[in-house]
Amino acid sequence: MLIKEDIHPWQSGVAKNITFIVTKDCQLACKYCYLVGKNSKERMSWEVAKLAIDYILDREDEFREESVVWDFIGGEPFLEIELIDKICDYIKTEMYRRNHHWFNSYRFSFSTNGINYHTPKVQSFILKNHQHLSIGITIDGTQQKHDLNRIYKPQHEKDLLERGSYDDVARNIPLWLNQFPEGGTKVTISSADIPFIKESVLHLYSLGIHEVNINCVFENVWEEGDDLLFEEQLMQLADSIIDEGYYSDYSCSFFSEYIGKPMNRTLENQNWCGAGMMLAVDAAGNFYPCTRFAQYSLREKKARIIGNVNDGIDKNKLRPFLTLDRTTQSKQECIDCDVASGCAWCQGENYDAAETNTIYQRSTAICKMHKARVRANNYYWNKLYRKLELEGQRDDYEKNKRAMKQKLC
Amino acid sequence: MLQYLIILLDDTSTSFCHYKNLKTKQCLIPIETLRQGIRFGMMENLMIQFVFPDCELPQEHKNAIETIDHSKIVSSLCEDNVLRADADVIVYHDWTELSFGKFENDKSYVLRTTKDDFFDRYHSMKDALGKVVRLNIVLTDVEKFDDEDFAKYKQCLSQLSDDMIAIYKEGKSPQLNILTDRLMLDGMNNCNAGSESITLAPNGKFYVCPAFYFDDEADSVGDLKQGLDIKNRQLYKLDHAPICRHCDAYQCRRCVWLNRKTTLEVNTPSHEQCVVAHLERNASRNLLASARKFGEFFSGKEINEIDYLDPFEKRKEW
Repeated sequence: MLIKEDIHPWQSGVAKNITFIVTKDCQLACKYCYLVGKNSKERMSWEVAKLAIDYILDREDEFREESVVWDFIGGEPFLEIELIDKICDYIKTEMYRRNHHWFNSYRFSFSTNGINYHTPKVQSFILKNHQHLSIGITIDGTQQKHDLNRIYKPQHEKDLLERGSYDDVARNIPLWLNQFPEGGTKVTISSADIPFIKESVLHLYSLGIHEVNINCVFENVWEEGDDLLFEEQLMQLADSIIDEGYYSDYSCSFFSEYIGKPMNRTLENQNWCGAGMMLAVDAAGNFYPCTRFAQYSLREKKARIIGNVNDGIDKNKLRPFLTLDRTTQSKQECIDCDVASGCAWCQGENYDAAETNTIYQRSTAICKMHKARVRANNYYWNKLYRKLELEGQRDDYEKNKRAMKQKLC
Repeated sequence: MLQYLIILLDDTSTSFCHYKNLKTKQCLIPIETLRQGIRFGMMENLMIQFVFPDCELPQEHKNAIETIDHSKIVSSLCEDNVLRADADVIVYHDWTELSFGKFENDKSYVLRTTKDDFFDRYHSMKDALGKVVRLNIVLTDVEKFDDEDFAKYKQCLSQLSDDMIAIYKEGKSPQLNILTDRLMLDGMNNCNAGSESITLAPNGKFYVCPAFYFDDEADSVGDLKQGLDIKNRQLYKLDHAPICRHCDAYQCRRCVWLNRKTTLEVNTPSHEQCVVAHLERNASRNLLASARKFGEFFSGKEINEIDYLDPFEKRKEW
């Protein structure tokens, strides 16, 4: 008896994640999008992309990770499919020519809004690189929930009517699942979305999506009573997943056995976020510890640039990221918290929300939502275990329980 | 806990540390600001260190300064002869000045130097070392050290160690921060700006240290009217410095201004600052061993052999 939980990202923990911010443009203007500086001007040139690839592949001794994920992000990355195709061809050719240790251990990864997924250029790229591709399409749930946030950007200043993108995304889901049957989607929850959580997750299951990675935004958007509403939605979702038996074939990242426990301040002191272990490059050729530190992601703070494709990485600027631990950046209240495990943070949001220009001040805007999640999560597992016991499947489950850890962003 | 208040008496107050003071236009601290600063120091029970400009101060400023127990930090180039004679710390900005210096036993001396000048002229320090009680070397461009410089610095420290042995044999025991401080310490003894000390500038505002003021006047942490307001104050403390709290280069300045300049975080030192501090630490270890060949020397003190120069490299073992 297996219970489906989060799937590990490919080569999690042993892969270097290198992100190309190929464009800061997108067809959509999602209301919860943290990218506050999107624009159609900053498109990566081939020259910058090539310099970045050469810089990285020239330094095999510095980039020693076993594997690599070449990640393409926007805006909407598939708006630049021709550039991406050229980049991927060059990466493959160069890794082969150099006999680089990544040649047989690489992936190209995309998180797309799905609107252009069916177009000939995108499909041609997918056919060419299929064995090395990870593509996630973001669909937020029911049409109502999806179109609440994921709307097209206005074409004209006078455009007052919001136009949702659900229809244009949903039509590509069957094609995507046919090509990537294990494909997962990413759902983002903001205050206004809470009432739609249960029906949205179930809707995504009904579309054939087995893995729903869902999380609350880290920004301080929560209103009075949101936590109780959230808890109620998750309890209803828990009932549906268990009563209707979804738990064996479908996953929802809100429910995990590993959250909601106290944490040892010495033995469980690692940072949550992978910023600094990743590397992002933008159209100007600047390097960042994660895309969230590029200027278009920041509301309040200046971009945190750690180098560029010409001068290389300033390793001094990486040191704070690579020595960052949980307790040094946390308030005493968080260190002592009885339900600390699984309480996530985004280093970029921490930086943006901090009182000074530091990555060492953990934002706690998500606190009450995490606690609500823990209560619902406890309910889920208690109910599920009781059901398994009554059906005589508990022992079987315990034997087959897979080791899993929390997924980094 | 705050222990020290540094008061910059003028915009041209001498630098006594890593930072450069590029201000050339005099801007004297208003007498009322000075009095309020002194009152603040008294009420918070802080030891006050006045940093003087090279020009002579008005009499009413001198009178105000003498209303409180304090230390005086003065440049060797200060025009006020009486003040120079009365100073607790004399700052040299030039090796030639140092070689002509007349040293007194009740004073500490600071030499600010670039690395290249240090490499070229460190030999000439032996004469001064024989005459001072304490000499602090401040390298003003630590962040520019490269691998070749590290090797040169190691060699210089080794030679200075031999010089110190020779001076010890003469019965003298001067302190040279980069060689002897580590011998006397059992725990971190760093600058601790923002944690143990705070700076009042002529504009009536507080800064983490003088360097923060001279870098950007907008970078204040409170003022005399509203009081101190140091955001994320915990980050200036050793227990919130992930690299430094595991380190035993106890004599390191752990300069939070250099930290922020090089790594963008006040609690994280650069590779260069760490390696320089560890070369000094290791030189102290060698000095200890050499001195013990001639008799008892810091009995009970041991400095362990280590296989790294930058504790960052050991972070996976923490």
